[in-house]
Amino acid sequence: MESQTLYRTGLTGEAIASELLALPATKATRSRATPTSETRVVQRVLIGAALAYFALLVLTPLIVVFYQALRKGLEFYMIALSDSDTLSAIRLTLIVAAVAVPLNLVFGVAAAWSISKFDFRGKSVLVSLIDLPFAVSPVIAGLIYVLIFGLQGWLGPWLAAHDIKVIFALPGLLLATIFVTVPFVARGLIPLMEAQGKAEEEAALVLGASGWQTFWRVTLPNIKWGIIYGVILCNARAMGEFGAVSVVSGHIRGATNTMPLQVEILYNEYNYVAAFAVASLLALLALVTLAVKTAVEWRSAQGAPQ
Amino acid sequence: MSIEIVHVTHRYANFTALHDVTLQVRTGELVALLGPSGSGKTTLLRVIAGLEHADRGRVLFDGVDATDIAVGERRVGFVFQHYALFRHMSVRENIAFGLRVKSRKVRAPEAEIRRRVDDLLELVQLQQLDERYPHQLSGGQRQRVALARALAIEPRVLLLDEPFGALDAQVRKELRLWLRSLHDRVHMTSVFVTHDQDEAFDVADRVVVMNEGRIEQVGTPGELTSRPSSPFVQRFIVDSRMRVPG
Amino acid sequence: MKYLNIALVSLVALFAANAHADVTLLNVSYDPTRELYQEVNAAFARHWQATAREKVSIRASHGGSGRQARSVIDGLEADVVTLALAYDIDEIADRARLLPTDWQKRLPNNSSPYTSTIVFLVRKGNPKGVRDWDDLIKPGVSVITPNPKTSGGARWNYLAAWGYALRKYGNDEGRARNFVTALFHNVPVLDSGARGATTTFVERGQGDVLLAWENEAFLALKEFGSGKFEIVVPSVSILAEPPVAIVDRVVDKRGTRKVAQAYLDYLYSDEGQDIAGRNFYRPRSQKAAAKYAKQFPKLNLFTIEEVFGGWTKAQKTHFADGGVFDHIYQPGK
Repeated sequence: MESQTLYRTGLTGEAIASELLALPATKATRSRATPTSETRVVQRVLIGAALAYFALLVLTPLIVVFYQALRKGLEFYMIALSDSDTLSAIRLTLIVAAVAVPLNLVFGVAAAWSISKFDFRGKSVLVSLIDLPFAVSPVIAGLIYVLIFGLQGWLGPWLAAHDIKVIFALPGLLLATIFVTVPFVARGLIPLMEAQGKAEEEAALVLGASGWQTFWRVTLPNIKWGIIYGVILCNARAMGEFGAVSVVSGHIRGATNTMPLQVEILYNEYNYVAAFAVASLLALLALVTLAVKTAVEWRSAQGAPQ
Repeated sequence: MSIEIVHVTHRYANFTALHDVTLQVRTGELVALLGPSGSGKTTLLRVIAGLEHADRGRVLFDGVDATDIAVGERRVGFVFQHYALFRHMSVRENIAFGLRVKSRKVRAPEAEIRRRVDDLLELVQLQQLDERYPHQLSGGQRQRVALARALAIEPRVLLLDEPFGALDAQVRKELRLWLRSLHDRVHMTSVFVTHDQDEAFDVADRVVVMNEGRIEQVGTPGELTSRPSSPFVQRFIVDSRMRVPG
Repeated sequence: MKYLNIALVSLVALFAANAHADVTLLNVSYDPTRELYQEVNAAFARHWQATAREKVSIRASHGGSGRQARSVIDGLEADVVTLALAYDIDEIADRARLLPTDWQKRLPNNSSPYTSTIVFLVRKGNPKGVRDWDDLIKPGVSVITPNPKTSGGARWNYLAAWGYALRKYGNDEGRARNFVTALFHNVPVLDSGARGATTTFVERGQGDVLLAWENEAFLALKEFGSGKFEIVVPSVSILAEPPVAIVDRVVDKRGTRKVAQAYLDYLYSDEGQDIAGRNFYRPRSQKAAAKYAKQFPKLNLFTIEEVFGGWTKAQKTHFADGGVFDHIYQPGK
């Protein structure tokens, strides 16, 4: 009698199942595994293990960084950060990020757009090339630039003759940073744009929009969150890169040291608290990045159309 | 506007979608391209729209060669199978899109655009929903928006790619009748693609039966039923129509 | 309020250009000399302002001596190089032709304004009882030294050990080699520079004994208080002569030859020698040597020329690719 009533009301099979499973509701029934989820115990163990792993490998070092940085008090912390070499390192990091991120943004959008909307020869090569920086060790990346632009490298004599400094100067730092951060925007956008397909773009074209109008009015708004996400990751990596930059830097104090390099220098001068102070800035950046990323994900999951 | 397709052949990589297809569509006609998947009907529609450029052959609008005209300049209206509405724009903005992207010189003033959009909303009976977004609409409503959007630019021909394919049976039937009545009012040359022969027979003046990139037969529903010209048409149309009860 | 002030000043300084100097020099140096040159640079700037009425700003870069030489060869525009050993500057002369090959004769004392040597740094109380080189090859003794491939100090360490073994075993190269091999078996990790090795020993608490530049050892005592570490002076050690040189191609291109020359001359002056002594480098001048004599322990020292026939030979035999060190040290064995 009961099941007939349920059937006539037009409930879906899922609703029926959950109705049946809910009667009678006892403690034992509630913690039984359903077809698509584990028992309470298993859930708790898995979540606990994940949290413990995270706490150990990520949270603890983060706490240590801030603890060590503030060990001698807030005043020392601020004075350490206002040392001229350190300020120069902060400035350099900001400049490098300010150049590398927009460049990679433009490239990433262009590459993702071509890959997802068109078919062309060499498409898979382009995709592999974009992933290349992930596969190559950053130190090797730095070395490549030394081999090309260094005094003994391919372009070395020409550059020297024209007094153009690439390696051991800002351009070298930019090249190394750009190389290691190239994939972030593109890789975030490609699956997104492929999932979105070309139909909206085709619709726009048929309605008379030009290529540029289509891109600006249709494509861009659809990938807005993907772009934001990619930029955030790209920026975090650009500011925190060590290996590649270290090779091409020359370590000239007050001139070619970024924040990560400055941390190493301070540490090597027994200036541990100052080293941790600069490291804490980078850690703060990481936290801010995480917060913004979470906010972005939350907003886009809401399906906010604007 | 009349459409003439002359000896059109189109290939994708190793697969030939259209084999030397020739077809005439008279002004004001409502024609259905009917066939199983892979028959080339959607490809043919896209060639007419300009979304594909035929490898060989010509497309003529009112006797003028339009084969090399860019898709945006053909003034065709296209309704996609999955609507392809701009997801971040409201219904009103979607419909107004084609009018807004015109170049400065040709663009109508904003008030005029608003007026046209209002007219179209009335035509498709969606006046209350003008500020809604696509994800807030049902399938049938979205399709009507897509139609209004296509009509906004006053196209010379209306092309519909399986317009009711993604909807459930009841809504399909309703929209089918509505499309027919719309056509009777507006008298725009229209071509639509479907694999559902009930639909084709209910709506179209003439039906083009396609199979494997070729046209099997062209004719009114009556002609196709009584005088099928090939075994394929026989099987596809006549026999299956017999099998369906009532 | 105080914090706000500091923050604001920093923010302004962050974006303000550096106060304009009339001339800048780049001193590419080796790892442990950071503190030394910080003092020298400030003093020289004052001196130059007073004598030449010009504002000079000296930039410094520090790292393992071999690695720094490599950077200069690759185009790091050093006006002067102040490295750990003559061979590294020879490389710059040979491979990049940035200065003449007879550079070492141009300044007094083989272009070394100060010298140093290799000593042991152990933990307070010397729990493993390390007294001399022999104790370094005992099982259970963990030795910290940087990597001879990149660090100048590491090469001095290695040659000091080899020299000791030669003396002990009557110039038997085979037994000397066994000795050094045994020593490197006791080395758990190789840093790329002398300072890195010091940090490993002192801050990270690894190892029982650090083979260090004498000045590094003294500096560690100073930084960390002599309550934590002790210096142990071995029976014999090597005389390390870290040289300095002008990089001709660079100073001529940048027009800084006069200042650069004055800078290096300053290292030999009374003030320069005094600063060196204060930073635990053994000064060359009579006056300063006398002043700081008590600070430095008495040591039996041999030179690289006496025992190894000079740097070029030593480098080729021991540290070049495929040399003795490559055969001795295979990590993981």
